[in-house]
Amino acid sequence: MTTSNADVTKELFVPADLNDSVSEQISGESVSAWRDAIRRFVTNKGAMASMIIIFLIVVFAIIGPHFFGYGVDDQDVSRANLPPKIGALSWIPAFSGHEGGVDVYKEKKITKNYWFGTDQLGRDLWTRTWMGTQISLIIALIATLADVCIGVVYGGVSGYFGGMVDNVLQRILEIIAGIPSLVWIILLILILQPGLVTITIAILATSWLSMARIVRGEMLKLKNQEFVLASRTLGANDGRIIFKHLIPNSIGMIIINTMFSVPSAIFFEAFLSFIGLGIRSPQSSLGSLINDGYQMLQIHPYQTLYPGIIISLLLICFNIMGDGLRDAFDPKLRR
Amino acid sequence: MGRYILKRVGYMLVTFYVVVTLTFLAMKMLPGTPFKFANRLTPEQLNQLKHYYGLDQPIPVQYVHYIWNMLHGDLGGSFQYGMQPVTEFLAQRFPISMQLGIESMIIGTILGIVLGIISGIYRGRFLDWGTVTLTVVFISIPSFIFAAILQYCFSVQIRIFPVIGWDTPMTHVLPVISIGVGVMASIARFMRTEMVEVLGQDYIITAQAKGLSTPAVIYKHAIRNAMIPIVTVIGPMTAAVVTGSLVIENIFAIPGIGSQFIDAIITNDYPMIMGTTELYAALFIVTIFIVDILYGVIDPRIRVSGGKPA
Amino acid sequence: MDHLLEIKDLSVVFHIFGADVQAVRGISLQLNKGETLAIVGESGSGKSVTSKAVMGLIPNPPGEIATGEVLFEGKDLVKYSKKQMQKVRGKDISMIFQDPMTALNPTMKIGKQIMEGLIKHQSLSKHDAKNRAIELLQLVGIPNPEKRVDEYPHQFSGGMRQRVVIAIALACNPKILIADEPTTALDVTIQAQILDLMRGLQEKTGTAIILITHDLGVVANLAQRVAVMYGGKIVETGTLDEIFYNPKHPYTWGLLSSMPKLHAKTDKLLAIPGTPPDLSNPPKGCPFAPRCPHAMKVCTEHMPAYTELSATQKAACWLLDERAPKVDPPATIGVGGES
Repeated sequence: MTTSNADVTKELFVPADLNDSVSEQISGESVSAWRDAIRRFVTNKGAMASMIIIFLIVVFAIIGPHFFGYGVDDQDVSRANLPPKIGALSWIPAFSGHEGGVDVYKEKKITKNYWFGTDQLGRDLWTRTWMGTQISLIIALIATLADVCIGVVYGGVSGYFGGMVDNVLQRILEIIAGIPSLVWIILLILILQPGLVTITIAILATSWLSMARIVRGEMLKLKNQEFVLASRTLGANDGRIIFKHLIPNSIGMIIINTMFSVPSAIFFEAFLSFIGLGIRSPQSSLGSLINDGYQMLQIHPYQTLYPGIIISLLLICFNIMGDGLRDAFDPKLRR
Repeated sequence: MGRYILKRVGYMLVTFYVVVTLTFLAMKMLPGTPFKFANRLTPEQLNQLKHYYGLDQPIPVQYVHYIWNMLHGDLGGSFQYGMQPVTEFLAQRFPISMQLGIESMIIGTILGIVLGIISGIYRGRFLDWGTVTLTVVFISIPSFIFAAILQYCFSVQIRIFPVIGWDTPMTHVLPVISIGVGVMASIARFMRTEMVEVLGQDYIITAQAKGLSTPAVIYKHAIRNAMIPIVTVIGPMTAAVVTGSLVIENIFAIPGIGSQFIDAIITNDYPMIMGTTELYAALFIVTIFIVDILYGVIDPRIRVSGGKPA
Repeated sequence: MDHLLEIKDLSVVFHIFGADVQAVRGISLQLNKGETLAIVGESGSGKSVTSKAVMGLIPNPPGEIATGEVLFEGKDLVKYSKKQMQKVRGKDISMIFQDPMTALNPTMKIGKQIMEGLIKHQSLSKHDAKNRAIELLQLVGIPNPEKRVDEYPHQFSGGMRQRVVIAIALACNPKILIADEPTTALDVTIQAQILDLMRGLQEKTGTAIILITHDLGVVANLAQRVAVMYGGKIVETGTLDEIFYNPKHPYTWGLLSSMPKLHAKTDKLLAIPGTPPDLSNPPKGCPFAPRCPHAMKVCTEHMPAYTELSATQKAACWLLDERAPKVDPPATIGVGGES
């Protein structure tokens, strides 16, 4: 705590040359909010692992369908319902090509390996699964991007301009939100006929609501803060205030919400395909593959297994990543 | 408070009316016909059928007609089942869906609250980490995949529970778990957040400073405050569970409203689709309304300020 | 050695984000029966942490009492078990908090919040506890207590809530009352009322008060003795008069100069330039050296020992060493208007 007097010599009693910069120095490294958020995100092990898994799934969704040169709809009943077999991994029971103790490949005299097996029409499930992943991801991506655009504009206009505009827009939003999203989606699909575009539109039709609400909330909160007021007194116009102050300050919330809309879009697509309102054969999506496989669940469980694992992994990883982003951007919400 | 309720009821009616109108218009825009052998019928026969079902009148007339009937409790007859009234189907099947939904909600909510409280108290420890991981997984995995796994494991491989059906208590187990697990995870997550928030509040320190024991502080001060916001999620969740259970009903062949809905969609049974949609919407709207009112009753801050004209 | 409360060489460390923040670094203090001791310092100086350490309310993890003793009537509270500590809290030592808006449970009637401690420590029946709660509300000056005892916190104004918080703290006639910034969150006019109330109550009950504040006006109003904290250390202690009229530490000078005065000769508010030290990496010398206008080489390298200036006053500053050049306190610290 204190030093013995012996160390303290007379020479030390001279004014120290402390320049102002030392006393004004802020302890700790100063980092911008963005870098700080990124730093926090990168140190989140779960979120980083999830990001890697998502990245791998995306890569496979792109290159996977081209591994064996089968088309999505190459049918051949002679090779129907083959269990998964991977030559190098055949010591693992799940990839041995056996089913019910019988080597199905031997029985049917098939030499080629089907990594995820084949379905009842003899289509290669490896190809179909990754093709399906591709379609699920595309739908999720488009729905989410559109939902960000619509939500940000709607919520931004409503929150920023307030008053009558806000009132009208909010009443409309309230009524749409009063309809269960499932009903809303199913009605849209019934009118437009199932397909990729329809599903995207249907998902979009409900998902923009939460984005609009969040952006409106952020705008209401931010627009009355003093830095905006200060900017306005300095003569900034609406456009400058919106693009220089409000959007950059709410971007964290927008990113977090986007991260959560992706899994919900993936889920809705799978849900709709599963009840037969989504992607129709011969095209595949993760949901339709699970639906096809589900018919054979009792005999050939592997047909549901792989698409099921991939969709579950995707949803889990997107959710963990969303949590990670939320913690990174908003330490207040850190829990 | 009275004025507030009145205003809310007004909104509810408007929303419901919009839903009814949208559903009606959607039905009129549907491609295809509800008649099974339409391509084999002569145009004359088709016209006769259309006349019989009132589909040959101008759409506005049909609309007014539909609304008028609806106000008298008549939602039309099912095309698929020889004009048997839709309301009859709904009345018969709705209680089953409701039962499934409520059982799942009760079990999921109770477990979720308990898990969330434990997780919040032991924040940052292993127990918390385990709960958080578990909830993310359960929230993420779609209920129909979960149902398929359960069905395969506990009905096909190990034959403990029946594969399908809805009669003995044993048939309830798998469907209720399939839905309840998601409910549990969402509630646990929400409850944990609330618990952590409340435990960080100053009044918790005040309570500790009074010399109360830790269990007393948690039980008397933390849990009650953390539970109040749960009411807000339980309402919409109940509605979502009752409407969203249609896949589960399909998988386990439960004769509820959901499997009926899917059936109606596949067969273009307009009145049935409309009836089910409207029932779903009504359910959704009413639950959210009840939750809002309930929230005011539970939270003294809102209870009193709501009583004065603000 | 018959102080009511004696803190000896107390250190509190918080383990946060891989760093050890040494919020309190070896402080010693005494509190006698019935007196008011003010602990003064800017935010982050460790004054609130000290008060929480006395109450045994340092959140663990991340916080921890690293060394030291807190002797209450001769017994070391640091060694007390959780159960033993619960019997002291609220009964012998109680606390009032800075923000009355958040210090009360919003969903519990205030009567019940007062009764809790009474039921726990004095084993009163519900009926008796309620009567006592009404008495306490009366004592802290809440009109119409029979009715208000059944109301919720949001039905009270800020000043009224602080009175309720005081009632809760005084419920079991504690020997020590720790007041952590009791008036900071209140309007100026309400502040004076609360201070009057506290002074009045102390006269009636003889409770010793530890007043934690950064507001020297409040100190002048209530305290008999003052401890000035900076960077987790006590830099100067003394009686009220000694600290206000004969301060020796440059940080105390700075604090006194930065007090706005009614009849000031300049329009300028005098601030102490710079920021407090980073306590996760505390300086090895005097924590105030980087901001001190009179800093010497020795200050940045060695922590000064306390120099006893009188029976009651001591300060830790190298300027008090005989080898140091003579420095006069700045003229701006005249305590105009105060007496």
